[in-house]
Amino acid sequence: MITTDVLTGYILKSMPDAVVTVVDRTGTMDHLKVSVVSDAFKGKNLLDRHRLIYQALDVPMKDGRIHALELKARTKDEA
Amino acid sequence: MADSIEEEIQKEVNAHKILIYGKGTKTMPMCGFTRETMQFFDRYGYPYEVIDVLSQPAKRETLTKMTNWPTLPKVFINGTFYGDTDILDPMAAKGEIEPLLKKAFGK
Repeated sequence: MITTDVLTGYILKSMPDAVVTVVDRTGTMDHLKVSVVSDAFKGKNLLDRHRLIYQALDVPMKDGRIHALELKARTKDEA
Repeated sequence: MADSIEEEIQKEVNAHKILIYGKGTKTMPMCGFTRETMQFFDRYGYPYEVIDVLSQPAKRETLTKMTNWPTLPKVFINGTFYGDTDILDPMAAKGEIEPLLKKAFGK
């Protein structure tokens, strides 16, 4: 289980300009839909954008606070 | 040894034009995302293979390192890694999947 603020904190550590929205898919706050808008994605293909998010959330994923993620990664002008 | 797993993965990736490494098998998927990925490809009607790595932790770990992608399922099309439906869905929306599969299957 992870709160939106804690998750957002992890994302902001590596993408300070990120706007993060979190949707709890199953009510247990560990199967989450996470949308990140940041210009860190500029010039990156989808795979690399998602890798950036996975790297930012590496700790809560490894310790099990996050079980499953559905990701959306857009730049500011794409959002 | 580690590389014999890598060799095994290379063989599997080359043997199947659409390959899903996931949790469970084709007849008994054990994870919603693995099932979702199978349903994604069912729409196109091309054959695909599902390899369960929940029962093969060493292969799962090697795959994670090879692809720099921490989660399952992991999809390979024509030997190239494409992540999962988070990547495939936007590609499908842009009509990029159909030509990719046509090229892979040569028809």
